[in-house]
Amino acid sequence: MIDFSTAPELELLRDTAARFASDHLRGNAREHESARGVTDAAARAWRDTGLGLLEFPGENGGAGLGALARVLVNEELGAADPGATLALDSSATGLYVSAIHPAQRVVVVCDLESRLTVAGGRLSGSLPWVPADEPAVVAVLSREGAAVAGAPKVLEILRGSGLRAAGASAVNLDGVEVLSQWSDRAAAATALARVRLYTASLLLGVMREACEYSRAYAVDRVVFGRPVAHHQGMAFMIADMAMAVEACRLLLHEAAWKLDRGDSDAAAVCARAFVEACEQSMFVTPSALQLLGGHGFMQDHPVEKFMREARTLSLMAGGVDAARDDGGAALVEAARVEVARTGGS
Amino acid sequence: MDLELDRQSRDRVTMLAALGRDTLRPLGLEADRLGRPIPADHEFFASLVELGQGRTRWRPGHGSGGRESGQEAGRTGGTLAMICAVEEMSYWDRGVAVAFPGPGMGEAAIMGMGTEDQKQRFLGPFVEPDRPRWGSFAMTEPGAGSDTSAISTSCRRDGDDWILNGAKMFIGNASRADWIMVWATVDRKQGRGGHRAFVVEKGTPGLGNFKIEKKMGLKAYESTSFTLEDCCVPAANLLGGEQYYQSREGTRGALRTFNAMRPMVAAMAVGMGRAAQDEALIFARDNGLLDRTRVRDRFERIDRRLAAARLLAWKAAWLADKQLPNITEASMAKALAPAVALEAASLGMELLGETGARGDHLVEKLFRDAKAMDIVEGTGQVQRVIIARQLVDLPRS
Ligand SMILES: Cc1cc2nc3c(=O)[nH]c(=O)nc-3n(C[C@H](O)[C@H](O)[C@H](O)COP(=O)(O)OP(=O)(O)OC[C@H]3O[C@@H](n4cnc5c(N)ncnc54)[C@H](O)[C@@H]3O)c2cc1C
Repeated sequence: MIDFSTAPELELLRDTAARFASDHLRGNAREHESARGVTDAAARAWRDTGLGLLEFPGENGGAGLGALARVLVNEELGAADPGATLALDSSATGLYVSAIHPAQRVVVVCDLESRLTVAGGRLSGSLPWVPADEPAVVAVLSREGAAVAGAPKVLEILRGSGLRAAGASAVNLDGVEVLSQWSDRAAAATALARVRLYTASLLLGVMREACEYSRAYAVDRVVFGRPVAHHQGMAFMIADMAMAVEACRLLLHEAAWKLDRGDSDAAAVCARAFVEACEQSMFVTPSALQLLGGHGFMQDHPVEKFMREARTLSLMAGGVDAARDDGGAALVEAARVEVARTGGS
Repeated sequence: MDLELDRQSRDRVTMLAALGRDTLRPLGLEADRLGRPIPADHEFFASLVELGQGRTRWRPGHGSGGRESGQEAGRTGGTLAMICAVEEMSYWDRGVAVAFPGPGMGEAAIMGMGTEDQKQRFLGPFVEPDRPRWGSFAMTEPGAGSDTSAISTSCRRDGDDWILNGAKMFIGNASRADWIMVWATVDRKQGRGGHRAFVVEKGTPGLGNFKIEKKMGLKAYESTSFTLEDCCVPAANLLGGEQYYQSREGTRGALRTFNAMRPMVAAMAVGMGRAAQDEALIFARDNGLLDRTRVRDRFERIDRRLAAARLLAWKAAWLADKQLPNITEASMAKALAPAVALEAASLGMELLGETGARGDHLVEKLFRDAKAMDIVEGTGQVQRVIIARQLVDLPRS
C-alpha cells in the first residue's frame, strides 16, 4: 500500500540532524568557509550526535541504517552547510567503497572514464580537485570495482569554488600504494548509486534552504508597493522553485527506498534522482539569488554561496553526464525487454 | 541589410583585444584571487590615462544640450560602436572594464541635464585628466533598488545649500570618485516627481562611512555603500538647477540614463558569455571532448543563444543611433543576454567538471561574475515588466 510517511525513528534521526545543523553549522557557515574546515566545537558536537556512524554496521559501533536515513539526514545537513558536512562526515562515502575505518578523511573519486590506473599494486594519475586539503585515504571507484589507497601527494591547496569548508586540493597519486582492491561490476554500480544519492541529497538540502531563504526575503521585501513575492511573476517563480524541490525530494526518497529494498533498478533510479537534483539546482539557486536582487550578489546573505555549493556538488559523483548515460541506458534496456515480451505490439 | 561592422569599429575592437589580453584579463583574475578591487593608485589606471582613456565625451563650448543620450553614447560613431567596444572589454574582464577611470554613468546625466557651469566644473577635469579620476552614480539604497521612485535619501533647501540625509548601497567606484551623483527626494510621496540629483564632491562633510561590499564576483571594481549625514551640498551642485525640476522632463533624467545603458549591459553579458564559451571550448579540445555529441550540443546551444542575444543588442543600439524607439528591443536584449551568459558559464563548468570546482579557472570566475548582469541596470524582471507594458499594456502597479 502506498504510504509516504517516514518511520518515527527516522523522524527522530532527522530531528537530530536538523538540530545539529542549526546549532553548529548554519550560523558558522561563513566562518567555516573561510577557515576551510569546521571549528573544534562543531567537530565535538558532531561526534556526540553519532551521525558519522549512520550507515556503518553495528559491529563497528555504527547504527547500521540505510539509504533513506541517509537522504533524510543529508537534506538537513546540506541545507545548513554541505562543505562542512563533507569535512565532518569524512568517511561516509568511503564506506560505500570499502570497509574502512570510521573518522578517516576519505575522498571517493568516481573515476568513470579511467583517468587513473592501477598497476603493480600502485596507482598513477592525478586529480585536478578533491574536496579536502589533506585526504588520508583516496578510494577510487570505477565501473569495474574499486581501489583504496593511502594519502596522495598534495600538489596544490586550492581556494575551491563551492564547498570551501571542506578544503580543496589538487593531488597526485603516482606510486601511491593500493591498500585494498576489488572488482565486481554490480557492486561498483551500487556503490556509485550510493555516492550519487549522498551527493544529491546534500544538493536537495541546498535547494531547500535557497528556496526557503529567498521565499522569506521576498515576502518581507517591498518593491513597487507590494512584497516581491506578491508580484505574480515572482510568485510563479517561487512556486516553480518549491515544486522543483519537492519533485527532487520524492525522486530521492524513491531511489533510497529502492536501494534499501535491493530492487534491481535501484541504481538507475538513483542516477535519475541525481540528474534531476543537478539540473534543478541550477534553476533553484540562481533564482534564489535573483529574488534578492543586488543583495543576493553580496556575501552578507548566503544565497551566493548556495549557488556556488550547488554548482560544485553537481560536478561530483562522476558528473551528471555519466548519470544521464546510466539512467538512459537502463530506460532503453527496459524498453527492449518490453518490446521483446510483447512482440512490439 | 548589412551585418558587418565598419572598419573603424573593427579596428577599435582589435585594439581593445590587445589591451584586454595583456592587462584586463590578468588584472581581473588577480583581483578575483585577492578578493578586493584594484586599488585606485594602481599603475594600470595611470597608464590608461596616458593612453587617452578615462576621458569625457563632453567638449567645452560644444554643449550638447538636450540631445538623446543614446546618440551621445559613442565617441566614435554612436551606440553601436560603443556596445562593440564594451562587449570586447567585457570579454576580457567586465569587472576591470567598470573599474576604468572616467565620469561613468553620471556623465550622460550631466550632459543631458546639467548647466554649462556644471558641465565645466564636473566634466571639465575629465577632458584631459591629469590623473585617473572617477565619477560615480548613486541611486540604489538599502530599501530601494528596482523601484527608484521609493528612494528615501532626503534633501532639503537651507539657504544657499541643500542638506542631504540617507544611505546608498552597491555604488560603483564611489569611494574613489571625485564626485558622486546622488539621487535624493524632496518628498517621498511625490515619487519620481520629488527626485533631485546632486553632484556631491569628495570630502564633503557628512559624506562618509564608505564600506566596500564583499561580492560573489566582479571583484575588480568596488561596489560601495556610504551614508549622507546632514551632508551640506551647495545649491550650485543641484544638477540642472532648480527650474529644471519644475518641468516633467526633469524627473525622467535618471530613467533616460538607464535606458541608454540597457543595450550596453546586454553587450557586456554577451562578451562574458563568449569568454565562457571560448574557454570551455579550449578545455574541451585539450581534453578530447569535442567529438562527443552531448558536448557539441551544449556548445551549439550556447553559440546559438549568444548569437541571438548579440543581434538583439545590436538592433537596440542601431535603433538608438537612428533615433527610433527601442524600448522593447533594449529590454529584450537586457533580459536575454545575462541569462545566456550565465548558462554559458554554467554549462562550461559542467564540461570542466572537477577542474571547474578548483576555483581558479576563468569559466568558474565567469560563473560568479555573470549573475550580476541580470540584476544591474534593471533586473530581468523589470525588463519583462517594461516589455509587457509595450506588448500587452501591463498596468503600472
Ligand atoms: C554588482 C552591482 C553593481 C551595482 N552598481 C550600482 C551603481 O553603481 N549605482 C547604483 O545606483 N546601483 C547599483 N547597483 C544596484 C542595482 O541597480 C540594484 O541592485 C538593482 O536595481 C535591484 O535593486 P535591489 O537590489 O534593491 O532589488 P529589489 O528591487 O529589492 O528586487 C528584488 C527582486 O524583486 C524583483 N522585482 C522588482 N520589481 C518587480 C516587479 N515589478 N515585478 C516582479 N519582480 C520584481 C527584482 O527583479 C528582484 O528579483 C549595483 C548592483 C550590483 C549587484
